[in-house]
Amino acid sequence: MGFADNKRGGFKGGRGGARGGRGGGRGGFGGRGGSRGGAGGRGGFKGGRGGARGGRGGPKGGRGAKGAAKVVIEPHRHEGVFIARGKEDLLVTKNLVPGESVYGEKRISVDNADGTKTEYRVWNPFRSKIAAGILGGLDNIYIKPGAKVLYLGGASGTTVSHVADIVGPTGNVYAVEFSLRVGRELINVAKKRTNVIPIIEDARYPQKYRMLVPMVDVVFADVAQPDQARIIAMNAHMFCKIGGHIVISIKASCIDSTMEPAKVFASEVKKLQSEKIKPREQLTLEPYERDHAIVVGEYRPRPKK
Amino acid sequence: MSSLRNAVHRREHRERSQLASRERLGLLEKHKDYVLRARDYNKKQKRLRALQLKAAFKNPDEFYFKMQSTKTKDGVHIAERNEKFSAEFLKLLKTQDKNYVNYQNSINKLKIEKLKNAMHFMEKGQEENDKYYDEETNNSNHTIFVDDDDEAKNFDAAKHFNTYPELLARKFNRPTKEIVKNAKLNVDDDVNVEKLVKSRSKNIRELLSRIEREKNLSSVQNEMDIQKALMGKGRRRKVGTDKNGLPIYKWKQERKK
Repeated sequence: MGFADNKRGGFKGGRGGARGGRGGGRGGFGGRGGSRGGAGGRGGFKGGRGGARGGRGGPKGGRGAKGAAKVVIEPHRHEGVFIARGKEDLLVTKNLVPGESVYGEKRISVDNADGTKTEYRVWNPFRSKIAAGILGGLDNIYIKPGAKVLYLGGASGTTVSHVADIVGPTGNVYAVEFSLRVGRELINVAKKRTNVIPIIEDARYPQKYRMLVPMVDVVFADVAQPDQARIIAMNAHMFCKIGGHIVISIKASCIDSTMEPAKVFASEVKKLQSEKIKPREQLTLEPYERDHAIVVGEYRPRPKK
Repeated sequence: MSSLRNAVHRREHRERSQLASRERLGLLEKHKDYVLRARDYNKKQKRLRALQLKAAFKNPDEFYFKMQSTKTKDGVHIAERNEKFSAEFLKLLKTQDKNYVNYQNSINKLKIEKLKNAMHFMEKGQEENDKYYDEETNNSNHTIFVDDDDEAKNFDAAKHFNTYPELLARKFNRPTKEIVKNAKLNVDDDVNVEKLVKSRSKNIRELLSRIEREKNLSSVQNEMDIQKALMGKGRRRKVGTDKNGLPIYKWKQERKK
């Protein structure tokens, strides 16, 4: 054991050194925060301070993508999603607004054969359930370029921004979020990504936003409410086209914390079936999340010939 | 009077050093050395007298409850908790400040988080990967719903996923046959794949050792907490034993005013 990794000297030296180091890290964030615009005001200030102290902030605080990083971009099974293989293996989406991060995520820019550059944003599966589902091996998420997606439980818009990247300029993401506080950040995301339509409403009352949302191809729901099956079904009945798809993330402890997770998932699938949603696949999200599952279903499937 | 004192010539007696002829007898003791020695001697004598007195006045019926729970061996008090740990563990325990261990542990935790965030998925095949793979991943559960028993019986995963059977194990990306056919990887000449693989496995090694470190630091933290609590007041009782065979304590809830 011991403190082998404290390379900054002895006991006392360690403390001083660590401070400098932390300052540097902040510097990095600050730089990125600053480029984010309005919301980055505070981050920018802190970054300045950190930089002066730590010194390490300089190179880190630059752009997220360090020049042309040496990575290989591998197309993913799901259109619009990529895997960047370099020093780290990362799930990425093509950045719809090149040069900007949404929530401080890393960016990777790659030189194309014709001399142009493409920028990708790193999508952290530990923070996003769709990303976890994609890396867990879902067969089909139905979220693809040009798709119209109703996104229930948009929160601060981190995952929404990636979904917007996937559907691209020809698709749309209708992000519903009830909480005003996180909704504000969602609106900031929508300011930069015109294909995101933020809706600050309760998903329990879809009639309130019926004027904003057309028929959609996919309903994605991450609402974590005990009655989430009902909420999703209501929205599907209202907005999902026939033969469209439902992708929901289930947190077992939010539905029933006393029951075994597998049983909770099964009972939720049952509920969906009773609402004319035919389950297609179910995937638990280990190791990214514990006792979570993603269920993909088809809304009113056309009968097989 | 001082003028008078100056008027009378007095000889100054200086302490001299050891004569060359008596050098074999060692250093010559000076007055200030003698003072130190005498003070030390007297202190020891005083202590001895006090102890003798204490022994003489000892109450043979004296009793403390602590006498039941602890023991001595050849007059040395035995601390049971310290006997169960390795020397390294104890060194850390006894030399480092609790706050410092907490601080190091939290740094370590942050670094683990950072490393994990940079490792979105694991590919099987490499030695380090497999070590990590077994521990952390590969335990998700994928269910495909089909229409009837026939379909379930004849289920062909490769066909269902529209991919090649050898790609099925790549959970993180099973490209469809079309994608594989049309794939144009932008592999630059300056991308050194071997080097990348190396640095990736280095990261995994670091992560594994940091996870190990976290385990150790947490147990030191825990032990420090227990030992501190044992020094304090409060009614406690033993509830079972931990994996070292040491008792686990539970303190009685006490109303804090």
